[in-house]
Amino acid sequence: MTSHDSTTSDAGAQPLGRTGIRRLGRRRARERAPGEPGSLVAWLFVLPGIAIFAVFTMAPLLYAMGLSFYDWDGLTPKRFIGLANYREAFADPTIRATFLHVVELFAFYTFLPIAFGLLLTALLTRSPIRGLTFYRTVLFLPATIAGVVVAQAWIWIYDKDGPLNAGLRAVGLGSFAQAWLGSFTWALPAVGLVGTWVSYGLCMVLFIAGAQRISPSLYEAARVDGAGAFREFFAVTLPGLRGEIAVALMLTTINALRSFDIVWNTTQGGPGGTTTVPSVLMYLNAFTYNRVGYASTIAVMLAVSILCIIGVIQFFSERGDRR
Amino acid sequence: MNVRRMSRGKTIVIGVVVALAVGVAAVAGSASAGRTADTTLTAWTYDNQDPGLKPVLTQLSKNFEKSHPGVKINVLFKDFNAILATVGRALQSDSGPDLTQGNQGFQTDGALVKAKLILPLDKYAAKYNWVKLLGPGTTQQYRWSADGKQFGVGSTYGVAMTGQHVALFYNKAKLKELGINPATALSSLGGFQKALATARAKLPADEPVLMLGNKNGYEAAWLIWSVIGAISNPQALRDWVYQKDGATINRAPALTGFSMLQSWQKKGYFPSDVNALANADAAANFAKGSGVFFADGVWNAGTIKAGLKSAAGVAPMPPARKGGAPSAIGSTSGSWHISAKSKNPDLAAEWLNYVVTSPAAVKLMQSQQQIPAVVTAPAPKGDPYLAALVTSWKQLSKANGLTLFEDWASPTMLQTVSSQMQQLIAGKTTPKAAATALQKDWDKFHKTLR
Repeated sequence: MTSHDSTTSDAGAQPLGRTGIRRLGRRRARERAPGEPGSLVAWLFVLPGIAIFAVFTMAPLLYAMGLSFYDWDGLTPKRFIGLANYREAFADPTIRATFLHVVELFAFYTFLPIAFGLLLTALLTRSPIRGLTFYRTVLFLPATIAGVVVAQAWIWIYDKDGPLNAGLRAVGLGSFAQAWLGSFTWALPAVGLVGTWVSYGLCMVLFIAGAQRISPSLYEAARVDGAGAFREFFAVTLPGLRGEIAVALMLTTINALRSFDIVWNTTQGGPGGTTTVPSVLMYLNAFTYNRVGYASTIAVMLAVSILCIIGVIQFFSERGDRR
Repeated sequence: MNVRRMSRGKTIVIGVVVALAVGVAAVAGSASAGRTADTTLTAWTYDNQDPGLKPVLTQLSKNFEKSHPGVKINVLFKDFNAILATVGRALQSDSGPDLTQGNQGFQTDGALVKAKLILPLDKYAAKYNWVKLLGPGTTQQYRWSADGKQFGVGSTYGVAMTGQHVALFYNKAKLKELGINPATALSSLGGFQKALATARAKLPADEPVLMLGNKNGYEAAWLIWSVIGAISNPQALRDWVYQKDGATINRAPALTGFSMLQSWQKKGYFPSDVNALANADAAANFAKGSGVFFADGVWNAGTIKAGLKSAAGVAPMPPARKGGAPSAIGSTSGSWHISAKSKNPDLAAEWLNYVVTSPAAVKLMQSQQQIPAVVTAPAPKGDPYLAALVTSWKQLSKANGLTLFEDWASPTMLQTVSSQMQQLIAGKTTPKAAATALQKDWDKFHKTLR
């Protein structure tokens, strides 16, 4: 027997225990049914996916990593400069500032949407609501609109004479009214709130789907024990949604780190660079400053920081699962 | 064996990848291999405004096709940023345009020259007399050394259609209402500042005196560079743009200009949302009657005229002293180039000369409220507003008063200037610190050129 056969049959059979099913698994492995892990046919099934992934994701990724070691204007021959781009990037206060801006954006792109998503989930799943699908759809709509359109709408909302300032004036807070996107203090939170508005829908849909999977018996038990709406939420819903929250954390964190469309279309990184994020800097270097190598360096730094953060989130969510 | 199976799997992966790639390439190849019996010239332009240069280019190309049987002109109108971000790679490919607009300065034109993607046009410039028609000071902005490292010297690589400088627009009706005499207000910088103060005192507090939309950040530079040019020597500002050894912005005129910008903000001359207001919206607001003065590009002349009608006035930016030489930030419109890969460079140059210098071109441009770059063009009759624009361009060209756009000085200068201007207006930096930051950007790029 080849080593391959034994691996396949063992892997297929182990969770099922030493019963008749194990023998069935052994026979199937010998016949190499389509879809069985390790069989040639299985490879053929995943090939199109792998090919597309290799050509459109892995190859550009590796190419960009390679470019980060070059000085290249995108037109004339490249010049290998080793780690010089990285040395420059780590010493560049502008890059440091953009990463700090992203840290501030986490509050708006990640924490607020998750908090808001949980609140809506608690409201929408607590008791049967007439027209739940309608509310869910309407609340999810912001997530489906193109970033450019969203940006244009919010430029108008934040305008000196826009609805936000009109509202402030109407309730006697006219002294706070200002051109939000032109303010050195408020532009970044203002852009961040647009991110909140775009991202909460995804969190909400994830959480509602997760909450519907929680066994009703848990809620019944909680109610029998005399838990109110709050206890019920913290004792049953929240722990039951741990997996979904981890997924939402990852997706929204990635969105925050690579946020580009909303920032570019509302402020282009201004005023005075106060809303510049790494992806804006990457774009400028690649397409405006003729520094493709340096842009790749920023891209690699961005990708590495995303991977690190995702790794941390995954570590904690998996450790939670094992408990 | 496991290992062998793995390697066979890998082989298949690679095989499929290669097959896919070849397939894609084959499809792409067959798509681009179209053929025509006639000669086709493809031209890329971001002069896509209508009203503006779009109808001009369209009509002139039709004329050209008629006078050149068998020639087809394919003008593709694109977005400014879309062209700048892709033009280099397009010219490198075998299916790129025959003619395209670049952009003066190191960011685009310098890079195209350095990569040898565009042709030196000296022979056509001589044949069609471009230097005489546009003026030697003006055509300097198309000149480069062959390595793309020296700007303003060497061969001529381009030519352009219209003049695009910043002029001072004013609301005649408002001036009259406020009792300000336009002749004094516009004749010198001192008179202009007095007029600003008078207007501030008389207008309601929420109405701006000097319209400015500085959302991108470089709009404030349009205003203040014209002032700096007036109080110093435009040649010094051009030398800075051309990256001449030893040039610096960190001198008294710029510091005075930056202080003036900050004091105008403190005195409340600008709109309250100045750093959030886009230039196009500022122009629209001014056209609706908000503000008394507006230093803006002549490309918005049509918008302002359409809104203010007979109240619309325009003049060159005031000189430092009465009767002094005029100066303004500005240049021609985006430079046109001929691709080094074009199979018909002579024909391309002929078309280019036709759309830039021909009487038909001049007439069509003026019909769209555009200023022909050709200084020998006659001023339009029966349109005093456009005549004022055309005259101010001619005066600037003849007096060599154009400072050129400051962001041409380095590939990063646009962002650096924009950030510093927004910080100056918001009071987040000082004139000295701003000038130092600009010079630091300049020095950093200058080192890469020598």
